[in-house]
Formats: sequence, C-alpha cells, structure tokens
Amino acid sequence: MAKAALLRSHRMAYVTLKNVKKIYPGKVVAVQDFNLEIRDKEFVVLVGPSGCGKSTTLRMIAGLEDITEGDLFIGEERMNDVAPKDRDIAMVFQNYALYPHMTVYENMAFALKLRRAPKAEIDKKVREAAEILDITSYLDRKPKALSGGQRQRVAIGRAIVREPQVFLMDEPLSNLDAKLRNQMRAEIIKLRHRIDTTFVYVTHDQTEAMTLGDRIVIMKDGFIQQIGTPQEVFNHPANVFVAGFIGSPQMNLFDAQLRKDDEKYFVEVAGASFALSERIAAKLRRDSEGEVIVGIRPEHIRICAQEGDDTMSAAVEVSEMMGSEIHLHLRAQDKEIVLRVNTTELPEAYRAGIPYGTQLHFTFPGDLLHLFDKESQKNLIGE
Amino acid sequence: MKHPVRRLKRGGVSYVKWGYIFIIPFFAAYLFFTLVPQLMTIYNSLFENYRDGLNQVGPNFVGLKNYKTLFSPDNSGSIGFLKYFGNTMILWILGAVPQILVALLLAVFFTSYRLRIKAQPFFKTVIYLPNLIMASAFSMLFFTLFSNVGPINQLIVQMGWADVKIDFFASTITVRGLIALMNFLMWFGNTTILLMAGIMGIDQSLFESATIDGAGPLQVFFKVTLPLLMPILIYVVITALIGGLQMFDVPQILTNGIGMPDRTSTTMVMYLNNYLSTSKNFGMAGAVSVVLFLVSAGLSVFVYGTLTKRSRED
Amino acid sequence: MIQRKNAAGRIHLLVARVVVYTILIFLSALCLFSFYLLIVNASRSNAQLQAGFSLLPQGNFFTNLKNAWNDASINIPRGVLNSFLVAGLTAVLTTYFSALTAYGIHAYTFRGKKAVFTCIMAVMMIPPQVSAVGFVQLMTKLGMTNSFLPLILPGIAAPVVFFYMKQYLESVLPMEIVEAARCDGSSEFSTFNRIVLPIMKPALAVQLIFSFVASWNNYFIPALLLDKAEMKTVPIMIAQLRSADYSKFDMGKVYMFILLAILPVLIVYIFLSRSIIKGVTAGSVKG
Repeated sequence: MAKAALLRSHRMAYVTLKNVKKIYPGKVVAVQDFNLEIRDKEFVVLVGPSGCGKSTTLRMIAGLEDITEGDLFIGEERMNDVAPKDRDIAMVFQNYALYPHMTVYENMAFALKLRRAPKAEIDKKVREAAEILDITSYLDRKPKALSGGQRQRVAIGRAIVREPQVFLMDEPLSNLDAKLRNQMRAEIIKLRHRIDTTFVYVTHDQTEAMTLGDRIVIMKDGFIQQIGTPQEVFNHPANVFVAGFIGSPQMNLFDAQLRKDDEKYFVEVAGASFALSERIAAKLRRDSEGEVIVGIRPEHIRICAQEGDDTMSAAVEVSEMMGSEIHLHLRAQDKEIVLRVNTTELPEAYRAGIPYGTQLHFTFPGDLLHLFDKESQKNLIGE
Repeated sequence: MKHPVRRLKRGGVSYVKWGYIFIIPFFAAYLFFTLVPQLMTIYNSLFENYRDGLNQVGPNFVGLKNYKTLFSPDNSGSIGFLKYFGNTMILWILGAVPQILVALLLAVFFTSYRLRIKAQPFFKTVIYLPNLIMASAFSMLFFTLFSNVGPINQLIVQMGWADVKIDFFASTITVRGLIALMNFLMWFGNTTILLMAGIMGIDQSLFESATIDGAGPLQVFFKVTLPLLMPILIYVVITALIGGLQMFDVPQILTNGIGMPDRTSTTMVMYLNNYLSTSKNFGMAGAVSVVLFLVSAGLSVFVYGTLTKRSRED
Repeated sequence: MIQRKNAAGRIHLLVARVVVYTILIFLSALCLFSFYLLIVNASRSNAQLQAGFSLLPQGNFFTNLKNAWNDASINIPRGVLNSFLVAGLTAVLTTYFSALTAYGIHAYTFRGKKAVFTCIMAVMMIPPQVSAVGFVQLMTKLGMTNSFLPLILPGIAAPVVFFYMKQYLESVLPMEIVEAARCDGSSEFSTFNRIVLPIMKPALAVQLIFSFVASWNNYFIPALLLDKAEMKTVPIMIAQLRSADYSKFDMGKVYMFILLAILPVLIVYIFLSRSIIKGVTAGSVKG
C-alpha cells in the first residue's frame, strides 16, 4: 500500500497562514495574528485549552469558516475564497460525522462518487483504504452497528480514499476511551508513514501533541504561544503558559528572586538558594537581579538525604503510586510541589509509596531550571 | 492524470446565501397564498360589496360600517356576531371539557407504573382513529345514524326505550350534544397522546420519591403530576381553543349549513361561509374574518409564549 | 399486619384495574361503534335498512359498492381520483419544502434568521379561514377556480410541519455531517437531497401521512373554489350528498359513499398506526 501512495502524483502541499485573523459576529475574536508555514508532508499539531482558537484555525484551513483577515495558501494557491471541496483537503471530525443512512462502503465512496470517478477505481480505493484500516469485514454495515473505535476508522478511511493534499483532523480521538485512544494514536502514527501527506491535527491533549507532531503549535486565547518540535517546546518553553501546558505532571512554577554574586547567578525560593549552571547563566537574557518565575519539572527535582543551603524541605501530602514511578505532592508553607520519582531509585521501604507527613529534603539541579520574566512571562534563557 | 489541472472556483466559503435560497419557496408561497389574501381580506372589510339577487352592489368604501353591522342587532333582535361566537364557544366547551378531563384521566392510566395497562397500543390506536377520519364524512355518518329513519331511532323504538322516534335535529340540546360528542370523539385520543408524552417527560423519580414520601395516587396526581404538566396542559387547551374557533365541517354537514334549529348551531366560520358562498357578501365576510383573525392572533401569542418558554428551558 | 396490608393492596389494585379497563373498553367501543354501524349498513339493501336496526352485516355490500361507484349524480371514482391527486401532491410539496425551509434555518446563519423563525412561529396558529375572502377573490381574479393549483401550491408554506421538521433536525443532524459532506465535495443543494433528506426519513414519512390526511379531509377551501362536477373532491361530494333529498336515496348507497370517503385513510391507518401515533407527540410539544 505504501507503494500505491508513492505512485500517485503529488503536488507540493505546503500550507501557509499569513496574519490570519478570525472575528465572529458579535466581535468575538477567535484567532489573531496567526502565522504558520506547514511544510510538505509535515505533521503539525495545534494544541491548547478549549476556546484557544485551534479548531477555528483548522476549520479556516478546511474552508468551513471564512477568514476575516489574512491569507491562506495551500501550495501556491491563495485559498481564502475557495470552497472546501476545491481545496483538496479531507477532514476527520471529533464525532466522526459519518452519514448514518449509508453503509461503511458508501460512506467511503461518497466523495469519489461526487467526483464521478469510475466505479472500478472507487471500488479499488475503498478496498485499499479498508484494508489499511482493517475494516474490510464491516464494509456492508451501517455506522450505527459499529463501535466507537470502528467508526473512527471509517471516518479516517473516508478521508484516505480522497488522497487529499492535506489531511485535517479535529480532536479525532477525544470521543474514545483511554485504552482505545492510546491504540488509535499508535495507528495514526503508522498511518502517517503509509499515506505520507501533510497533516494538521487539533487536540487539547498535550500527550497526543507530543507523540504525533513533527511540530507543535501551542495556542491560547487566539494567539500562538510557541511553535516548535516536541523537544523544543518541552525543553525550552517560550513562556510560563507553555511551560505549564506541556509535560505531565505539569512543571512546578514558583515566584523567586534572581541574585547575582561573583558572576554566578542564584535563584532564591522560599529560603533556599539554587545556583544556575554556567551553561544556563551564559544564555541568560538579562543580567539584572530581581523577581522572576522559576520552573522545574517534577522529574528533575532531586531528593537529598540531608538538609543544606540548596535544599528545600516539605511534607508529603499525597503519594500517587503509578507503578514504575511515584508522584509526590508536597507542601512547603503555601507552595505545592510535585515530584516524580522512579520507584527503583527509592529505598526499599518507600517503594510502595511514601507515608503522609514524611518530611523530604530536595534540591533543584541548576542545569535543569527554567526562568521566566515575572512581567512578560517570557522565557529568560536564550536558546 | 488523477489530478487534472484544477479550476479553482472562487465561490467563497460563506454559506449565508444558501440560507436565504432555501427559505425563499416557503416565503414566496406564504406571501402569495396567505399574506396577500389576508391583506385583501382586511381591505375588503372596509367595502360594501355583495350581490343582491342579480344586482351587484359595490364595491363602495364604507369605512367601519361592516363591523358596525356585525355588532348590531339584526331583524330578529340578536347581535349576529355575538350569537355565532357564543354558539361556537358553547359547542367547543361542551366537547372540550370532557375531552380534556377524559384525556387527562387516560393519560394517567396509561403512564401509571402501578396499573401497567396491557394492550396499550390497541387502545391508543382505537381512540386516535376518529381524529384522522374525514370530518365531513364522520358528520354525514352521524346524520344518517341519528336521522328520523336512521338506525339509532330504529333501535330506540325496537328496544322500547321510547314510544316515539326522537327528532334529534329538532332541538337545540340534541344537535349541540351531537356536535359536542363528535368533537369529543375526534379529539380526546389526540389529547390523551399529547398529555401522555407530557407525563412521560416528567422525571420518573419525582413520582417515586413522592410515593416513598407517603403520597397516595390522588396526592401524587394533584401535587406532582398536575403542576408539572401545567405548561403542556395550557398549550393543549389553547391550541384546542384555536381549533374550536375554526369549527366548521362537523356542524356545517350535520345541519346542512343552516345551523338548525333556528341557527343555534351556526358557528363563526359557518357564518363566514354563508357570506362567502351564498350571498357573496365579501365586505361582511371580510369583517367576520378580521375579527376571527384578531381573536386567533391573541390566542396564538399565548401559545407562542408557552412554546418559546419551553424551548428556553430545554 | 404487613401481610394484611399486602393483601389489601392487591385487592385495591385489582379493583382499580377492573375500573380502568372498563372505562377503556367503553371509550373504545364508543369510538368504534359508529364505524361498525357504517360497515354493517353499507352491506344492507335499502329495504333492509328501512326494515329495522341490525348489528350484523348482510349480503348487499358489493351491490351497494357497484351502485355507489356507478352513481350518475355523484361521480365518486372521479372524486377519489381528484382527492388522491390533490392530497398526494400537497403532501409531497408540504413535506419537501417544510424540510427544506427547516434545514435552511437550522444549518445556516444569516442576518434576520431569528426574525424569520419568530415570524413563522407567530403565524403558525392563524387559521387559514381568516384569509379565505382574499384567497377566493385572488384566485377568481387569476382564473384559478376549478383548478387544483390553489389547493396544492399553498402547501409549500406549512408552518406547523416546518416546526416539526426543525425540531427533528435539531435532534438528529449534527452540523459536522453537513461539513463532512462539504469537504467531500457535495454542493449545498445535493447535501440536502442526498444526506439530509435520507437522515430525516422517519420525519418525512410521518409528515407525508399527516399532510395527506389533512388534505384528503379538507373541505372548507375546496368547497369555495371547485364547482365543476369533474373537479370535485370527496368532501365536497359528501356535502352534496347531505344537501340532496336523502329520503329519495338508496340508503345502502349513501353508507357506501361515506365508507369510500374514509376508506383510504382507514387503510393507511391500519398499517401505520404505530408510527402515526408516535408522530402526534413529536409534532406539537417536545415531551
């Protein structure tokens, strides 16, 4: 099947959005100042909390919403005023949107029939797609007789047969239960290798974004917060919002003081003082002392045996046993701190969980800290 | 080959115009067949325009004279409009009161989880049946059944229930009674089904919790069912009233359009029909229509209120 | 104690059931009695009918049928044909255009949409009789008396059916399906015809039946417009029957006329009563 995909004529399907803006009637601004270049065959994920404008952006690419301002290009063509059917895109919807009165086969064949493709070709394409998605045995059923996962496959199949330049997916997994979701996520990764086209994928789930995307676009309140590879957004979040949004459990963020002493930088949080590594200090975008926000990922906090200048102390409030790791919620004065610890790294007695109230000492490794400006919330460490 | 050079249609992605296109036929038809005639009707009501024997009188503009005539006593001393409006209301109430009470009772029976009525589809099918029957044919049937030589009178005499035949069409009470009976039979099934849906729409656990709280069947009905059913009951009553104002086929056919005896069963629409088809008095017909329109419009406002209130609550 | 209460409860329930079933059977009998007598009397000759009351059918059904069907003054075959033509076309137009209008308002956002909806709701309850004067005048001016068009075409604007369709669409049609069709390359019109209408099939069926029945039974307006013998519909013929001097009539034939007038609806109802009754509720108020 991969061969079949290679054989078909392919135009360069890059998607460009330039200063795109969407204002709904009633002056509700949904998307602002959206600039993005999606490369040919790239898998881009739009992620953000609900109401951030990610779905609206996808629907503007599809042509289901008109674009208030700015330009949309697919390949060389400006597409702002082109109807969805002429954009050579396919879309998978959150609730699948299968035609309830048609069989699986008819659902998949519908778009090709509308294009007046020859019967034999339709049949070939539908069967190919069905085989890729393992739904050949359901071709004669109606959507009502299928499970959620099967419907999802049909919805994807309906998009595949079109061989679109751009494949749009709007939260396709969010109606599935947790187990199926993981399974389908893996299927989408496999599918992507087989059909090899440009994907734009919308989700609110950061795990999906991280595992699926070549690049991730993180959005909030209609604005892009950051565009980058999963690694980039994880290791170097552009601002406090991205830092908190990407990663699970989410990054610990505290108000802190940045202090300079003998060319060395220190971060002071609740009485403890952590030295920044030289690598980070060198990239620091400002040299003045003052208020900052410091961030540290739960898995980067190191538990220490003894108290010291560079340790904090806190009592265990909640201990969540996840199997190979334990998530600890600690409380130090008014701050909640989350730690992620591998069970293998814990003493024998603590491997089943750490009792309520246990006092722990821990430190923040200076090379793994994130610093953000208190005012602008932007990352203070250069790339 | 699979992708011939595309001709991109710059049709736009706004679908607004389709909304208009799809509703045009409806509004065109409404405009032409209802709104324009409606305005013509109102216009007509201000003119003297009728046929007197072979002579055509008018149309001459007479202002509100037709309305004045409508509300002044005729040569028999009764005010035409009030008489026929009164007839219509009496006929409606005679049928509608038992209709709604019986329907309420049946709806409670059918939805009672204690009684668990069997053969519900059968009963519902039977009681709804008269609603679909052609009113004029149903009325003709009643006329033949209850006429002096009809089977009901034959039965009465044969069984010795009365010495002489009863002339059902000679007394006000029996004619009105027959019309009310027919209206009752035609509508109580429909009302039952509507009220049933209303009761089933009430959260079942409310009945259960009331029962557990110690309420008997009667208390459950008056304290839980009836208050919660009120919006639907009001809707049913008002739509029935609007339907009642239009009462025509049954009394028209039963009395052959004369509303015997002595026009005591002539309804508003029969009155309108007489002006329209017999005397071709478009002026008076227009005035009757406008008054009828105002009354129905007033009632419609109520229905609209209850309907929109319901959809807002949904 | 509890046992006694239990027994009392059971007796109470039994009594209640007996009372309820008695009421139900009485009302059912009341509904069916006149139709039963109709069928019985339609099977009796005029002489038999004059002779007295009977609860049992007699053997003249087909004679009466033949006489009624071939009657010279009341051309019932023609009436049935006319009524079928008018009711059938009205039902199709009403159903199709109500669905189209409902879809237009459900699926698109356009300026004035709310006003349009409010407008239709407001005129929903206005009876057609109140514009009859102007309607008859207008049709007379246009030379459309003794034509079926003024009976069929107004069916395009049926507010009640529209309201039913609108409610149905709200419950069955997620907009994503329409959008999926758009992406699949379907034009707006073909989306309606090929995707939306099939999804609405149950509602269409119910409304086809209801509008057919309503048109079949309609008497007031047709009676004002049709006076040529060959254009008359069944209800007008029934009225004609009533105004004729019935004492000269073969009463067996009269009963047969009435039976023929209600038979088509009766047959439809016998086969589809379940879905018709379901449609009654869905139409007016959501439960």
